[in-house]
Amino acid sequence: MKKIIATLMIVLCISGAAIAQDELSFERKQAIDSLALEKVRDLSKYIKIVGSKDTPFSEANRVIDRAEELFMNDAEIGVSSIHSNQITFYRVRKYFEHLMRLNYDRVEIEWYNIEYVSDLQRQPDGTYVGVITIFQTFRGYDKEGNLVYKDTTKKDITVYVRRKETQIGGRTIGFWDVLLGDMRVKETTDR
Amino acid sequence: MILLAVFITLGGTTSCKSKKRLAKEAAEAEYRSKVEQAVKDLNAILDDETLWTLEEKEARVQTIKDWNLQNAEVDDLIFQVEKKLARERAQKEEEKRIAIEETNKATSTEAVLDGNFISIARASSASQANRTINETLGMFESPNVPVLIIISQSPGFNDYDRPTTIEKYLNYLKDQKKAGHKVHEIKYNSNGKINELELIVK
Repeated sequence: MKKIIATLMIVLCISGAAIAQDELSFERKQAIDSLALEKVRDLSKYIKIVGSKDTPFSEANRVIDRAEELFMNDAEIGVSSIHSNQITFYRVRKYFEHLMRLNYDRVEIEWYNIEYVSDLQRQPDGTYVGVITIFQTFRGYDKEGNLVYKDTTKKDITVYVRRKETQIGGRTIGFWDVLLGDMRVKETTDR
Repeated sequence: MILLAVFITLGGTTSCKSKKRLAKEAAEAEYRSKVEQAVKDLNAILDDETLWTLEEKEARVQTIKDWNLQNAEVDDLIFQVEKKLARERAQKEEEKRIAIEETNKATSTEAVLDGNFISIARASSASQANRTINETLGMFESPNVPVLIIISQSPGFNDYDRPTTIEKYLNYLKDQKKAGHKVHEIKYNSNGKINELELIVK
């Protein structure tokens, strides 16, 4: 009987320790929430740089490399238009290449109202998954400076945050790896 | 009567001589004790058998010198100990100088880096940002030096963002036009170049 109680106590202690490790403090959770939001804001700046006709080709390619690093390998970005109901999905690099080749003389892209629609939730495999929504206003101008196309799109981006480890200078560094998943079009208007 | 006077005189002289002898013996005993203590302490200092700090050792030698024992063995030991303590003092001063120099260097490098991060983020043109990037890269062992960014600190450990390299980080500042981190820790190689950088969210 004593052996059974002792075994039970050990099992409870071990599972208790495991639960304690899994539970993030409010401050740590807040830090990874902010980190994921920051990655989405970073992406908005990269889209703006690549979309700008003033950005040299080599510089745009460097920025595309950085933007690609923000995403999961198989992530896709949905693109919509007010002229069609169809949504086209591009792999990340293809999306940016498409953005660079847009047939406008000048392009303005603004992201705003970047916020969580679904908070980061811990999954059974330890990954935190959440959804961030953004509003994007796109404006395309011709060479006379006339606005020839404008839309506002609401998009949802799935974010994945995983705890990983790496060796740096002989030390093991534990870090949070934020990766963006698919970016889906939720709504497109001509406003 | 005369006989009594002689006795008293002789008796007094004898008592006075005895007191002097006792005093002399006491003084000699004290001298021997001091010599013995001095030899013991000086040898202990020479053989590093004390737990005294350098300042305590110097104070002890000064006390022994103040005794002015005029003993050849003690004088020889004082000579040797003073030479040893002078070496220790010089070494301590050098260590202090190096520590101050390293602190100053770290502080000034930290200030330069923090300043350059802000300059890159606020640069009015890409070419201006690139100039500061190249200047900053010169402080590093290579463009691939790892940069760690602390996003939160808990007792005993830090949470980091995904590690990057200094070249990528400096370009990130240029692209994002924001300097949201400050220097937390710098590591140098033997040539004085930075080989690891740790930043923290402002």
